[in-house]
Amino acid sequence: MTAAANWEAGRRERAKTMLGAYPDRRSAIMPLLYLASLEYGHVTEQAMTDVAELVGVTPAQVQSVASFYTMFKREEVGKYLVSVCTSISCHLLGGDAVIDAVEDATGVERGRTGDDGTFSVERAECIGACGGAPAVQVNYETVEGLTPDKAKALVKWLADSQPEVVLADEMQQLFGGVRSFDWGPLESEGPVAAVPAFGPFGSAKEGR
Amino acid sequence: MTWISDLLGPFKGFAVTMRQVGKPRVTRKYPQEKRVKPPRFHGRHVLNRYEDGMEKCIGCELCAGVCPANCIYVRGADNPPDNPVSPGERYGFVYEINMLRCIYCAMCVEACPTEAITMTHLFEMSVTSKEDAIYTKDELLVDPDGTPNHPQAESPLIDVKELRLGDGWMRATSSAGRAEYEGVVAWTPQARNPDLPVEAGQSAESTGGDDG
Amino acid sequence: MPDTVSININGVAHDVEAGQRLIVAAESVGEVIPRFCHHDKLEPVGKCRMCLVEVEGPRGKVLMPSCTLLVSDGMVVDTESAVVKKAQEGVLEFLLINHPLDCPICDKGGECPLQDQTMQWGPGESRFVEAKRNFEKPIPVSDVVLLDRERCVLCDRCVRAADDIAGDPLLTFIDRGNHVQIQTFPNEPFSSYFSGNTVQLCPVGALTSVDYRFKARPWDLGHTRSVSFVDTVHSSVDAQTSRGKLVRVYGIENDRVNEGWLSDKDRFIFSAVHSPDRVTAPLVRGDDGFEEASWSDAMALVASRLGGYLGGEVGAIGGANNTNEEAYTLAKFMRSVVGSSNLDAQLGDGLNPHLAATVTPRATIDDLDRAATIFVWGPDLKETLPVLYLRVRKAVRNGATLVVASPAGTGLDAIAAHVVRYRAGSGSDVLRKFASGDKGYEGAREALDAGPVVGLVGRSSLAEDPMMAEAAAGVVRSLPDSKLLTLLTRANIYGALDMGLAPNLLPGRVSTADDEHAEMLEDAWGHLPRGTGRSTTQMLEDLASGAMRAMVLVGADPVRDCPDPGLAQRALEAAEFVVAFDAFVTDSSIHADVILPAAVWGEVSGTATNLEGRVQEVNASVRPAGQARSLNAALDDIAHLMGVDLRAAKVADVTREIAAVAPAYAGITPDHLTFESDGDGVIVPLEGEQPLKFIPVEVSVPVVTSRLTLHFPDALYDDGVWNRNAPTIAGLARQAEARLHPRDASMLPVHEGDIVSIEERFVMPVTLDDTVPVGSIVVPRNVVGTKGLTASTSVKVEAVEGGA
Repeated sequence: MTAAANWEAGRRERAKTMLGAYPDRRSAIMPLLYLASLEYGHVTEQAMTDVAELVGVTPAQVQSVASFYTMFKREEVGKYLVSVCTSISCHLLGGDAVIDAVEDATGVERGRTGDDGTFSVERAECIGACGGAPAVQVNYETVEGLTPDKAKALVKWLADSQPEVVLADEMQQLFGGVRSFDWGPLESEGPVAAVPAFGPFGSAKEGR
Repeated sequence: MTWISDLLGPFKGFAVTMRQVGKPRVTRKYPQEKRVKPPRFHGRHVLNRYEDGMEKCIGCELCAGVCPANCIYVRGADNPPDNPVSPGERYGFVYEINMLRCIYCAMCVEACPTEAITMTHLFEMSVTSKEDAIYTKDELLVDPDGTPNHPQAESPLIDVKELRLGDGWMRATSSAGRAEYEGVVAWTPQARNPDLPVEAGQSAESTGGDDG
Repeated sequence: MPDTVSININGVAHDVEAGQRLIVAAESVGEVIPRFCHHDKLEPVGKCRMCLVEVEGPRGKVLMPSCTLLVSDGMVVDTESAVVKKAQEGVLEFLLINHPLDCPICDKGGECPLQDQTMQWGPGESRFVEAKRNFEKPIPVSDVVLLDRERCVLCDRCVRAADDIAGDPLLTFIDRGNHVQIQTFPNEPFSSYFSGNTVQLCPVGALTSVDYRFKARPWDLGHTRSVSFVDTVHSSVDAQTSRGKLVRVYGIENDRVNEGWLSDKDRFIFSAVHSPDRVTAPLVRGDDGFEEASWSDAMALVASRLGGYLGGEVGAIGGANNTNEEAYTLAKFMRSVVGSSNLDAQLGDGLNPHLAATVTPRATIDDLDRAATIFVWGPDLKETLPVLYLRVRKAVRNGATLVVASPAGTGLDAIAAHVVRYRAGSGSDVLRKFASGDKGYEGAREALDAGPVVGLVGRSSLAEDPMMAEAAAGVVRSLPDSKLLTLLTRANIYGALDMGLAPNLLPGRVSTADDEHAEMLEDAWGHLPRGTGRSTTQMLEDLASGAMRAMVLVGADPVRDCPDPGLAQRALEAAEFVVAFDAFVTDSSIHADVILPAAVWGEVSGTATNLEGRVQEVNASVRPAGQARSLNAALDDIAHLMGVDLRAAKVADVTREIAAVAPAYAGITPDHLTFESDGDGVIVPLEGEQPLKFIPVEVSVPVVTSRLTLHFPDALYDDGVWNRNAPTIAGLARQAEARLHPRDASMLPVHEGDIVSIEERFVMPVTLDDTVPVGSIVVPRNVVGTKGLTASTSVKVEAVEGGA
């Protein structure tokens, strides 16, 4: 009688598939944590306990994995998670001014979530968009070549239009500047929550 | 002529006396009158306090460990968090020095990481029983204003002011060592920096243990 | 002879064993490389970087961590070059960045590897002026261990020990980078039976034990090497004292026994030695209860009363918590002075003494490392012999196949290749099917055919027929290349049996039926009653019926530990005279007419024999509490009053006498035992063969048929008198609970958490557990709430109205 038995039916099935996909059950901890965070909104203690039961390790070991990776959110995250890169390239090209602007516009300090649950702001390590620095991610969808003003506009747009699905290309067209690679394929899928848009974990196409 | 020297014999002995009559006296009317002790004089120990009244002793037993005469007995205990005796987690719960065994070498003073134990100029420690020669923490600990505890503090014969001066030996051998550090406490038992927030993570409440 | 490779360390060529880590090889030739994360008994991780050395490679000399590097032929190593020195200083400066340097208040201060290595290899000064990490401190990660995270150097030793060694991965790192810290999961404490080991392993003062907190400093500790008397493994311990009190017990690396590991009970039970409830003066029953008396009055009373009975009217129970010398003196006293063969160190809770003491072929603990298959039929090792559990875990980790048979889930199930579950009481049925490789047991049976096999056999619970273990031993014996270890659990019970504290054994593993030896012993002792005496159960029955009249209790508590506590109670009440040598007023010794204060573990010296027959030295580390005396000294005086000289006043004399008259112990001299010479003790018999060799055969045991059979296993933290009196672990004592299969529960009907009554007297909550076979119930023995429950094979269970 694991608590995971009470998960939404589709997720239970997915959990079973994932456990079967790895020769060593432990390897399923990370994908299962994504599933659990969809179930509970973020990686709660209950989520970690559920995953531990499913995989057959102790909750402490799951916690160890969950806390190592910053993309597993152990605290509640707002509808839009704004991650501002402040690693070297972005830092040199004004990433710090961008994060200050985002903080101003959202009224949320870095590392926190706003009271109304719309925005979370965080400082991210390199997100692989050095060519278009400074870069920002909204729900892990990347916008490049931002300035503080453009960042403010982006936040305002998010707050006003409250898009259900965040799309990188749309944001890039509206607010972006220089891109690292302008020949990259267009993305038609976006995430519906503050988890990355990996197929199995919920994306625009599948809906919630 | 031996009879002459025989006759003078008794007076010869007074020659020494006569030579000294005009010179200044070296004896004192102790205890009414006292000699000024040299600054590094090794007298009886005291246990000091910080300016806010907290005890400096943290019960680390380094003094007891270094004591060549094995005359110090210290036991540490957990500091009560609501009414701490000393800064930090641990305080000297028992502190006893057997003054009959002590050889006044001041190695305890050198060893002390918090300058809690120092020596004073107090040397009058006659006792009527051996038990009384074991000084307990109550007797060793200075008053909150820094005055050493003395059984006859009221007596006009006791110069409490001199006792309060502390001793030069402590200054010469303090844990900080070098002269530029004199008076600077180089080590504090406070592991925690009170100006910084405590890092996130688990707290005592959430570990589920009973003790602590 | 293992292969050797030639390596060059600091310009000197050495031949070292191949396949070793460089840090170990270097140490073996006297080149100590500093380390924090490396530990001989743990897997290497290379986390702390303290062991960096320069190793010559194709691209010149490079810095490499020596703890993860295997030695290879022709390796050229420099451990003292300027580059290495700089690396070591850098690593230490780095490790000290967040270390609070609160050494004077830290319990590790004075014995701290970080302190020592900073002194020897570290930089003189730190350049770090920024604020250090700040944590709430200390937090209890379990009931016995405290964690100060800012002292931690993230070496991973505790995590590895908890995971690899103990199998309780409850401590882990969380977060990463400069935020990493050691943590448990919220509300899931580090409640491992082996958590104390992490305190000993921690190279800094990050993990400290609750009961040693600020008690003493390392430089005022006295060290005594001894063995733990918690169970029959006899783990080597360093009993540490300060100012005449035991303050801490550390494990000693005795690779043949415990490899340095201890269970928390081994580690923390010592505080009972200084319990305020100890009996510190002889107590004689007066008109209104016990009154203190002098030793001479009390002994005169005992001597005159015991002298007034016929030999057979007196019996002695106990002696398992004593040294071999004390046990031998008791056996000699009872047989030659009192004239009684009614002796039993087991309380009806053990095995046939012949099986336990003289099983052949007998395995040693390190045979487990060489076994291809380990077969456990007996008690839950984790609960009863935790250090042996660790050895089995290690063997399995190294590739042995484990087959576990038990009437309910055990701690070993998780690592067992085959689990054979049988309903309590029907073991013989399953054993027969299993032995013949019946359907459903083929896999387990096949595993047993791959030798060498080590069989660990014992009584799974007090409610099980002791013949069951013998039957299992017979099955193991029938396998080719098999050896056996029997699993009795009480302290020095093997020593007591070897010393003749059994109705059918004489000192030195000789049967009472061996007339030739009995004659020899009679010559040595002056008097020896022939024949077999009564066992504990028979003695209690005879006392209750009046066939026996007096009883000597030696550290035994039959009212708690006998299968039938009611019988023990009636027997002791009916006895005309009971004298108890005990450290505490127990549920049994409270019925005594005289209680003589006994010196206990930590206060007595001598020898002890563990479950593999290894004799080790036991050393006193503190003076006996109050007027307590060792058993041999007290019995010597009582014998004098009865007109016999036992020659037992001095332990050394007794040790010599044992070597002279006990065949299995022939030739043992203090040189064999002193920890200075070898340190690990010797297995007896040293040479030649003991006169009695018990070769188990397959026997048939009746199957219990009743509605609900009882499995009544022991728990590590029980409600025994020692556990109760050791404040550190007293609170960990298990509470009564009835574990039932959900199907049985639904028939009662009860749900999880409901209250049931057992035998109409004992009420406890129900836990549903599908590892319990249908038709049986599991109740822990001698825990809070099961005192006095009879270990019958079947029990009456009823749901209690209005429970839960």
